[in-house]
Amino acid sequence: MQHFKKLLAILLCALFVFAVVGCGPKDPGKTDPADPSKSEDPVDPGKLSLANIKIGFVHVTDPNDMGYTYNHDLGTQKMQKELGLKDDQIINKFNTNEDQACENALRELAEQGCHIIFATSFGFEDYVLKVAKDYPNIQFCHATGYQAAGSGLKNVHNYFGKIYQARYLSGIAAGLKTKTNKLGYVAAKPFAEVISGYTAFYLGAKSVNPDVTMVVKYTGEWHDPTVEAQLAQALIDEGCDVIGQHCDSTAPATAAEAAGVFHVGYNSDMRGAAPKASLTSAIWDWSRYLVMAVNKLVAGEEIPVDWGEGLKEGVCDVSPLNDDIVAPGTADKIEEARKKMVETDWDVFTGPLVDVKGNEVVKAGETFIEPASAPSWTHILEGITVPPETLG
Amino acid sequence: MNVLTIIINWINAAILAGTPLLLATNGEILTEKSGNLNLGVEGQMYMGAVTGLAAAWLTERWFGVGGIIPLIAAVVFAFLMGCISGLIYSVLTVTLRANQNVTGLTLAIFGTGFGKFFGEVLSNEAGGYVTVGAETKHVFGNINFGNLTEIPVIGTLFFRYNWLVYFSIIVAVILGWFLNKTRKGLSLRAVGESPATADSAGINVTRYKYAATTIGGGLCGLAGMYMSMVNQKGIWVTDCVSGYGWLAIALVIFSTWSPLRAIYSSIIFGGLSVMYMRVPIPGLPRDIYMMFPYIATIIVLILTSIRQIKEHAQPASTGLNYYREER
Repeated sequence: MQHFKKLLAILLCALFVFAVVGCGPKDPGKTDPADPSKSEDPVDPGKLSLANIKIGFVHVTDPNDMGYTYNHDLGTQKMQKELGLKDDQIINKFNTNEDQACENALRELAEQGCHIIFATSFGFEDYVLKVAKDYPNIQFCHATGYQAAGSGLKNVHNYFGKIYQARYLSGIAAGLKTKTNKLGYVAAKPFAEVISGYTAFYLGAKSVNPDVTMVVKYTGEWHDPTVEAQLAQALIDEGCDVIGQHCDSTAPATAAEAAGVFHVGYNSDMRGAAPKASLTSAIWDWSRYLVMAVNKLVAGEEIPVDWGEGLKEGVCDVSPLNDDIVAPGTADKIEEARKKMVETDWDVFTGPLVDVKGNEVVKAGETFIEPASAPSWTHILEGITVPPETLG
Repeated sequence: MNVLTIIINWINAAILAGTPLLLATNGEILTEKSGNLNLGVEGQMYMGAVTGLAAAWLTERWFGVGGIIPLIAAVVFAFLMGCISGLIYSVLTVTLRANQNVTGLTLAIFGTGFGKFFGEVLSNEAGGYVTVGAETKHVFGNINFGNLTEIPVIGTLFFRYNWLVYFSIIVAVILGWFLNKTRKGLSLRAVGESPATADSAGINVTRYKYAATTIGGGLCGLAGMYMSMVNQKGIWVTDCVSGYGWLAIALVIFSTWSPLRAIYSSIIFGGLSVMYMRVPIPGLPRDIYMMFPYIATIIVLILTSIRQIKEHAQPASTGLNYYREER
């Protein structure tokens, strides 16, 4: 028995060693036999090209959320297809918290040989700046942030987009659908990105329904599905009959469906999750930025320090309308507004706009244009009810 | 909207938020009554959550039926998976006598990983994300009581819930009756208070510990299923358990180890946790609201320790493993 135990211990050790060896990196000289086009020209290891570039991503959740990360990952997949990248050229770090875990993930990606790293959540920015200092040869691109330009670091870049334009379009669907003229909005945190989003949503609804009002409640987290569902129910109990959202899961959509009201989503087409409630969603096409940034890096050009495009360039849009339940005429109204934004200089935050305290924040005839890619709009407009302590 | 409506709706939301807590709390009470301090409730709930959803989804897919059959599958398999997690805990602490705190915490981490991993596998299998059909969503939704729901006040207070709300209250009542009114319940409490005494009275300590922890785990599994099937309406969302397992452990203390007191304390706890969404107090930040359930727990802890009622205390041997040889 004693011998047997020793033997077993030795065998297990041996197995462990082989397992570790087996998990190690594959022979770099080996190329994918399924892809003959790549195997013919051997890669020059000294020069960066699409064949040897490594791209890292840090996400705050994973694509299961059907939300922000899902949408961003769709962009990654589209980029991979367009640039013909292999699976092992892309490393994803999912479910990374906005704390030390983010720094660890960034350092791991850097050590794994990534040439460019995309950090996709707002709270990652401080860690990106910290890690980027230590790796001046690696490009760091941070979505929704605002500090790259002022950081003095050449390898840090911000990107976002005019998602408020898509929000405005999705608000039109909500404004036409509501019967109680009361919209509800499940928001994540009282930040400019969120406030700019729901203000645009509200303005979209108001453009087709002047009587509309909106109630906003905050979950306090980008992703807390249980609270998102409870908050949606609280809004429905207050009489809201179309629920909008700026949070990461489908919970508001399914809560709306169960209560027999309607929903406008964010980040993904939620018709599959809530076929009887989801009218449409404001969505991103991140691949436009990803492809541009990777191409520029390979070509040896500078990646813009702050990048933000919108509806005109196809970076954001609304997902296909749920034709069975949208109010008649929704498609036409959305098309009309889209034309206005694509073909003219008209933009969402056009005056006169009055805030809850009665101040005119944008004068008639003037338009507020975001100075950088990250939204800075924090005015709470008349007709929007927010939790009193967030008014400041 | 008048104040009464706000309060009635708040109570309704409190009961809905309290239901998974009630199930998990009762599971943990049953476990602790046998002298096992299982801190792994969060993990057990994740295991139940993903198993329940997988069972419902696969039943729909393989047999092409929606509604009641996927519901039964979800309940049975979530319960079984919870039982398995309880068994893992029992084998480690009762048979192998591993430290209970460490084992519980490990189970919490393991179960969370288990849930997230298989949730991911399911999503990949489904090609994107998992969602059950409308019929199955419907049977997990509110029961149709017809005109009863329309009665003012009473309709909202009593008849706007899914079946698990009523089920969890029945479970709590049965558990209270079992612990306080039956011979086996008495034996179980004896095992939790003083296993050596119970052993010398001819009670099989190991068997009681195993049975209570396993069934307690099953209840936690059902609580997890509530999170995925009712709260998320049959869609896999990572983080769907949202820390409710940890809340349940606090709630065991809050309800002073009594399944019947757990009924109202889970409703109070649920009510305090959704309060900020519904009862605005001007000037009070959300973060203070979020503390309410925990402040209440601390107050209950202080009160019970001042009053020194033996029946309201933690079973004396909780957290300690029983070594028969050391009697």
